[in-house]
Amino acid sequence: MTWRRPWTLLRRLFLLRAQEDRDLDDELAFHVAEETRLRLERGASPEDAARAAHLAFGSITLAKETTRGVWVSGAMERLLQDLRFGFRIVSSAPVLLLSAVTLVALVIGGNTTVYSIAHAIMSKPAPGVRADNLTTVSWVRDDGFVEPETTYANYLDLAAQSQSLGPMLAYQYVRVALGHENGSYGIWAAAVSTNYFQTLEVPIALGRSFTENESQSATSGLVVVISDRAWREYFASASSAIGAAVIVNGQPATIIGVAAPDFRGTQLAPSVDAWVPFVPFTRAAGGSQPSARGMEDNLPLVGNFVGVLAQLRGDASLAQARAELTTLWERLQTQYALVPQDRSVTILPYAATAGGNSPISTQGTTFLAIFSVITILTLMIVCANVANLLLGRATVRQRELALRQSLGASRTRIVRMLLAEGLVIAVLACVAAYVFARWMSSIVADLVAPMVPPAVLQVITEPDWTVAGYSLTLALASMAFFTLAPAARVWKQPLLPWLKAGEQGVARGRSRLSSGLVVLQLALAVLLITSAGLASRSITLFATTDLGFDSRSILLATVNTGGGAVDQSTSAALLERLRTRLQSVPGIEHVSYSWSGARGSVRTETLRSGAAGESAVAATNYVGPDYLRVYGVTPVSGRELGVEAGRTITPAVVTQQLAERLWPDHPAIGRRLFFGQQREREAEVVGVAPDVLFNGNRPTGNLYVLLPSSSGLRDPGERTLYVRYQGRLDVVAPAIGRAIRTEDPRVPLVRLRTFDAELEADLWPVRALAMLLTTFALMSLIVAILGQYAVVAFDMRRRTREFGVRIALGASSHQILTAVLREGFRLTVLGLVIGFGLSVLTGTGLSRALYGITPTDPLTYGTVLLLLSLVSLTACSVPAVRASRVNPISTLRQE
Amino acid sequence: MPRARQQRVELLQGTLDLLILRTLQWGPQHGHGISVAIRSSSQDVLQIDHGSLYPALHRLERQGWVNAEWKTTENKQRAKYYRLTAAGRRQVQTERDRWTRLTEAIARVLDPA
Repeated sequence: MTWRRPWTLLRRLFLLRAQEDRDLDDELAFHVAEETRLRLERGASPEDAARAAHLAFGSITLAKETTRGVWVSGAMERLLQDLRFGFRIVSSAPVLLLSAVTLVALVIGGNTTVYSIAHAIMSKPAPGVRADNLTTVSWVRDDGFVEPETTYANYLDLAAQSQSLGPMLAYQYVRVALGHENGSYGIWAAAVSTNYFQTLEVPIALGRSFTENESQSATSGLVVVISDRAWREYFASASSAIGAAVIVNGQPATIIGVAAPDFRGTQLAPSVDAWVPFVPFTRAAGGSQPSARGMEDNLPLVGNFVGVLAQLRGDASLAQARAELTTLWERLQTQYALVPQDRSVTILPYAATAGGNSPISTQGTTFLAIFSVITILTLMIVCANVANLLLGRATVRQRELALRQSLGASRTRIVRMLLAEGLVIAVLACVAAYVFARWMSSIVADLVAPMVPPAVLQVITEPDWTVAGYSLTLALASMAFFTLAPAARVWKQPLLPWLKAGEQGVARGRSRLSSGLVVLQLALAVLLITSAGLASRSITLFATTDLGFDSRSILLATVNTGGGAVDQSTSAALLERLRTRLQSVPGIEHVSYSWSGARGSVRTETLRSGAAGESAVAATNYVGPDYLRVYGVTPVSGRELGVEAGRTITPAVVTQQLAERLWPDHPAIGRRLFFGQQREREAEVVGVAPDVLFNGNRPTGNLYVLLPSSSGLRDPGERTLYVRYQGRLDVVAPAIGRAIRTEDPRVPLVRLRTFDAELEADLWPVRALAMLLTTFALMSLIVAILGQYAVVAFDMRRRTREFGVRIALGASSHQILTAVLREGFRLTVLGLVIGFGLSVLTGTGLSRALYGITPTDPLTYGTVLLLLSLVSLTACSVPAVRASRVNPISTLRQE
Repeated sequence: MPRARQQRVELLQGTLDLLILRTLQWGPQHGHGISVAIRSSSQDVLQIDHGSLYPALHRLERQGWVNAEWKTTENKQRAKYYRLTAAGRRQVQTERDRWTRLTEAIARVLDPA
């Protein structure tokens, strides 16, 4: 029996309803007709009979309403009926419906996108991690600074003693060179405790995970688990990869397993490609016994510290575990002098970004708070706009509602009807918002794709039901807001004035509040568009700057010297050998190398020309021989740097502008150059280079000092070779890879790209920002313009009668048109003035970030002026045209 | 007219159903006919409020005590005729019994023996 009820309910609602409505109409009409007939038979005149019959019956509408009320008995049935009715009313005003839905969808969709990305980044685990009760252990310094790491010895003690935490793992990221017979690769690796994969519940797709005894003995050789990506790309998915001999940072090792395809480490970045057991790896890399107590000081800093994750036991709470760890930690502090005394321990639920000093994890709550405020503010603005739209309509409908009420519709009935209309808008807006949000997040994903690791992309594009719920809640809350105001008005409105007065007679005057709100929104839109415009102009100029050299035909080859060198001097020698080898490759003209890459941060230092001489802040770089030749420039005077080993005083090359700054009107060659405020180091100028933007366009401009790389030795790691070539790139590029392999097969070529590509990547964050600004600007423009439309249209409706009178008194439709346009344009002008004022202020504040243009760039401002005027004119012209077409006769007859 | 109006009595809550069902015991009838029948058999004392007659009819139909069909009247007009069902017939008896008990009880209160 139960299945029949929903069916009959639906049938009644959608199929039979129209028929039942007609039947009821007929039935009541028959009643009145019959009554009339009776009265006619009794001798009344036809008119009197009909009138009396109607009077005797009372309100037909009320009878219908109550009878229909009998049909629908359940609350669900009533709700559906209200919705149907609401939809019918709302869809009779499609423009209004469309504007309201667009407004709500834009703002809620936009907010949902940001929220979903923030939520994804801040609270989700890294892809592939299957354990669901993981926690992050971290340490808090007295000043509140959170440290994500502790020593391996501390980790071992905590892991052995804790009862409330289950398996506890340790990890440490390290950049390694992974070499095997087919080549050598620079990748991210993690040195981990052997229970790593079991604790995370990450399955091993092929081979096996680490065993307990691999945590200690280094005698059996290093074992490695590689990622699915590394397996596919370096080993062509061959099952023979298991057991293959490889070289990890110069140490022989064996591959024992391949991790599950989606797993690339416990954090979103870096994306790990290989895992090695912590102790054997650290020992092989030159550390002493990392687990021994009292050895912390002797260990290299990088080789010693680990991040810690642990599973919470099923019966333990987070607070219990925290209390227990604190006790254990305090015991360690009294037991060992080397355990830091100014740190306390804490644990947090695990997320891919939790723990650590990334801005996301340390400022996550601040970010969320700011974001919530922005959400609420924008939502309020939009609600005000929608309320304005609905209020405009409510005024027109005030009389209709008064009529309904006087015909017997109860107040609750009318309020329910209004709420149903709001609900229809909210439901439609919610669907639109969700679609829009999905679309937005795919756009954002595309936008950030070149910048972030694949794990981040995967996390932010996964569908998220929490977020769907969030958008639904926002939509419903806004619905309540923008329908309750008109509904409350209905509740207490007196009926009589509405029934007596003409259609527009009693409408209240225009609201200063809503006009002010529109001006504010327009100003905000102007500010955003101007900022976006300034940013885009700035980028265009930045990208087309003359760098002072020909950046085409330069290749950048990054290698990891860790594959073939064990200390600073062998690393430097290896780099020089690679340079010489590359120089002999056909098609390659000059080769050099430098400390800082073509992009990325340059190191700046304060330079002095003498004890009391001039000073300047310039970029310092340690470079290999032929550096200037690779850039295709020759020294203005003096010479360029060579190998320069074994000199008593460091030679230096400065750019022309720096030379003029430090020694105005004097030749720079042979002068002494001092580094640092205290003149800690000195160098002798041996050459002056032309003004070249060696590292692309940056704030330091072309103030550069170049020093020989032999005076700034560094540990083995990633270095970039600069190669000027001629001829075809597709011939030269493979030759570079071959030459490096010939020189030392253990040295991986990590990246090979053109100088131009590197410069382009440098511009990416600015481009993304400009794009984001443009998107927000356009969205805010749409919101503001719809708001303006709502206010002007409302005003026009309210004054329909006035326009009718004016036209009747001889005003031309042209005059009416300009009158309404002038009203609307007043808002635009105010918005523009305030917006431009704000833009100049913001622009001045941001002028350091703007390249090549002033904060008052006339072209940008002109474009914004034109754009806003045009769009605003369009928005106002719809109601203006309607006003000019008012028919005076029909308007006045309504009275 | 004023005198007649003074003599009219508001229907007690819940009695309309009984009156409708009782009227339909004489045979199928449309809404207007029912209201006329009640008025005349009560000698114009009971005036049916049409705003509640039709909801009541539709409610009785939904409860299964009456069913309805469209028929043509003697004046060749289409009208909806209501007819008692078997359940409706039983319901008349139940409602009558309840009414009798109620009036007897009220009478006892008004004139204690």
